[in-house]
Amino acid sequence: MKCTECGHNAPLESFRYLYNARIDASISIRQCTNCEEWLAVDELKGVVTQKIAQGEAPWGKSAGIEGLASD
Amino acid sequence: MAKAAIADRSVKEFEEKQEWWWAAEKKRSSRLDYLRKAIWKKGAIGGLYAPGVKVDLERPVLQTQKARALEFSPDPYVIKFAKMIAHILDNKTIFITDNAQLVGYTGSLPHTIAWDPSLGSFLNEEVYNDPTAIPDPAEKSQQIIRDVNNYWIGKSDLDKMIPVFDMEDLGKMLSGSIGWGVPIARGGYSSKDYEYIMTGKRAYQAIIDELNQKIDEADEQTHAPGATTETSKIYDKINNWEAMKITLEAGIRVAKRYARLARIIAEHFEEDSNRREELLRVAESCEQVPAYPPRTLQESFQYDIFIQMMSRTEAVEGAWPARPDYYHGPYYDKDVNIKKNLTKEEAIDLVGEFLIRAAEVCQFKPKFAREGLQGIDGTWVWTIGGVDKEGRDACNDLTVALMQAARLVRVANPTFGFRWHPRVKDEVMREIFECLRQGLGYPNIRHDPVLIANSMHWYGHPIEEARLWCNQACLSPCPPTKHGFQPMRMANATANCAKIIEYVMTGGYDPVVNMQVGAETGDVTSFTDFEQFFEAWTTQMKTIFSILVRAVNRARTLAPNLTPRPFLSAISERSIESGMDTLTPSLERGNAWVTAFTWVENIDSLAAVKKLVFEDKKYTMAELKNALEKNWEGHEQMRLDFVKNAPKWGNDDDYVDDIMVRCLKTAAKFSKELKCPSGNNWPILPENVSGNIHYANIVGALPNGRRLGDALYDGGISPGPGLDKKGPTAVLKSCGKINHITDGRAFLLNQRLSPTQLAGEKGYQLWRAYMRTWADLELDHIQFNVVDDSTLRAAQKDPEKYQEVIVRVAGYSAHFVDISRKTQDNIIQRTVQGL
Amino acid sequence: MTTCKDCKRFFPLEDNPEKGDCVERIVDPRQAYYKSKPVNAGNDAVSCSSFQKK
Ligand code: SF4
Ligand SMILES: [Zn+2]
Repeated sequence: MKCTECGHNAPLESFRYLYNARIDASISIRQCTNCEEWLAVDELKGVVTQKIAQGEAPWGKSAGIEGLASD
Repeated sequence: MAKAAIADRSVKEFEEKQEWWWAAEKKRSSRLDYLRKAIWKKGAIGGLYAPGVKVDLERPVLQTQKARALEFSPDPYVIKFAKMIAHILDNKTIFITDNAQLVGYTGSLPHTIAWDPSLGSFLNEEVYNDPTAIPDPAEKSQQIIRDVNNYWIGKSDLDKMIPVFDMEDLGKMLSGSIGWGVPIARGGYSSKDYEYIMTGKRAYQAIIDELNQKIDEADEQTHAPGATTETSKIYDKINNWEAMKITLEAGIRVAKRYARLARIIAEHFEEDSNRREELLRVAESCEQVPAYPPRTLQESFQYDIFIQMMSRTEAVEGAWPARPDYYHGPYYDKDVNIKKNLTKEEAIDLVGEFLIRAAEVCQFKPKFAREGLQGIDGTWVWTIGGVDKEGRDACNDLTVALMQAARLVRVANPTFGFRWHPRVKDEVMREIFECLRQGLGYPNIRHDPVLIANSMHWYGHPIEEARLWCNQACLSPCPPTKHGFQPMRMANATANCAKIIEYVMTGGYDPVVNMQVGAETGDVTSFTDFEQFFEAWTTQMKTIFSILVRAVNRARTLAPNLTPRPFLSAISERSIESGMDTLTPSLERGNAWVTAFTWVENIDSLAAVKKLVFEDKKYTMAELKNALEKNWEGHEQMRLDFVKNAPKWGNDDDYVDDIMVRCLKTAAKFSKELKCPSGNNWPILPENVSGNIHYANIVGALPNGRRLGDALYDGGISPGPGLDKKGPTAVLKSCGKINHITDGRAFLLNQRLSPTQLAGEKGYQLWRAYMRTWADLELDHIQFNVVDDSTLRAAQKDPEKYQEVIVRVAGYSAHFVDISRKTQDNIIQRTVQGL
Repeated sequence: MTTCKDCKRFFPLEDNPEKGDCVERIVDPRQAYYKSKPVNAGNDAVSCSSFQKK
């Protein structure tokens, strides 16, 4: 997997696993061991989807009616 | 937000935008505004105290000084300890904040955190190693701390206790994997005999008079002709009574010091005549209480604050059992309704300040506790509402005033637990709703009839006592009565229950702390059916609970002699009467419970294993074990299967709900085999405080699809975030399958609702209908977060602007910006239920 | 020797003027308050940085 921030290329497992706030989502937050950025990772595809900044929500809205409400 | 920007906008504008905190700031009196902003925020953030907040070195120095002076005195320990308390109270620095009408603080100055050096050397080491909280100049402070710490090595409570514990149990406990806290009698949650001390019948002086009489009579007995085995016990009693007296007398003296300070300020410094009058009122009230019973609402609050200040000088209190509307309500009624010497607005000022005085309290706590309780000092869930001894509605005007004041001062601690019963008036329900709608996260709501029956079922509390209950900590009712109140609940009877299922998979070996902690239940891959698997689960559950309970039982049995509580005894009828320390188990009926952190992971994991391994045979146990050992790395598809294709708790699905009920009933049966030193039961109480985050890196991968590092579910019997997909009624129905009287002590349920949906009268009616279902299903607890995603994400982005947003974490509330990113995300991902 | 007794901040006890309170106004970043701590009238005031002559 390639880090979108520094280009560090290594097997997915070697990116430090931090957490997944939605157990039913295939998204985790991992940390690049090279640049130390927090990254959202699609665990099934094995790709970085975005860098995690403050207020960023890789899981989208919460489940339930918040998730249904239009933005 | 800039001051000008707040001034320019109206309350209505803020309320429409649901920026309740700015609206509150505009609505409260200038006094409350000053006092609210005067609070030094003491709750640790990420385990660290806020900048400017410092450990108080005055008390440790005073206590050590006195301990040294008494070292070779012939006094028994209980008297020496009482003298240390008195020395601290007589010599500590006291202060009175501008605009304040209530006084009394645990530390010496507003920005200090009280540190008790006599609790445990491990805590003292933490003080020494906490560079951010050590006052400047650091070198001098460190020298003082070193001196204090050196003195208490081997002499502190825990140091004295450690050699008498079972070493194997202790090792497992201290590994940090299954338990929480330490088994000491001066660090935990102390209920109090409020029926003795808070009903206006007596205060310190009357108790001192009674103690004098007791001592005289006993003294006479010891000198009467003849000697029996009883005679020597009388000497012990005299010592206990003497010690109690020392603390009460010191309590009266310290109050007089406050009175004197108030008079000095009024007479020598204050130029404003109104403030001078206020200060003289403060002086009068400190001359009245705690020596004599209060006469006014102000004195009643002041009395309570003094009791709490003393209790927090004697012990580190992690909770604040209280029932303020019940005990202070009559004074509110007298002042506001009958004598009319206080307007409602003046009363609200006092009530708000009472909350603020509690909010500022802080005692230095070990790091695990600071990390566990993000943003607050302890879980101070004050109990309001409910019924009186006869079962009549006990809500009064102060119940309402407390909730109104809470919306104005918006502190995250204390919070309220509201005792709901069928006769609660609509106007009171509307006040609760207003607090929730304005995003406070409290009151949480408790089912009074269920909990009264529960107290009677588990401990045999008589109905008249059970009806008087208040929370001993976050969730557990305890009657504040002579034999009903539990003087100490040691926090270490808190089980990290996710380890139960983890140990089934590992045969009791803990891969995170690298030791055999659980029972040796054998190789899980050799299990041929679910019953075998469940049997191993039962064994692990019993093993973990037993380790924790044994330690508490041992500590409680030894406590009256090794670590007595003379002040707490002095305000306990049973100790005044018997001459025995209030920790003596035989004086108490028993009210012990095992807090069950991280409970629901067991249920979802058991269901997943039953379905996918034993029934569908989609995976072998060996495959599962292997995936868990790898923390699901490289097994994402399989992990998703265990999450999505196995039934999950909270969806009204009998398959998994039956497992929940079976686990609880199995634990409940075992709770009756375990006994506390008073001979009573140890029921379990599922809730999490914020253990779900604390244990994220301690609990390994689990069959419910969780990885090491992930937050655990938010606790109690709350479904996993986002896993309750069938709507709010399905959640309630699942929870309703549990018998909330006989299956355990109490069951925490977090639910998240949409603020948009709760707007207006329609919102209130929707919520009332929902609450009727909750009540009909006889669930003992429910609490709500009513904050939307966008506000919380915005607060993550711009914390400065959203300093005052409060969320319900698990058993307590916190300011959103004070909790970790992981906890924040965990809260945001909870399902928002549409009513 | 200058002692607490000579200090503006010293307020003797009525029943025992040898003892008293040292009262000081403090303004910290969040609040203003008066603090008080017990002192003896005869305490050495020379080394006290808060001493104020009566
Ligand atoms: S300021 Fe110093 S000299 Fe003055 S009373 Fe206080 S301790 Fe004594
Ligand atoms: Zn990188």
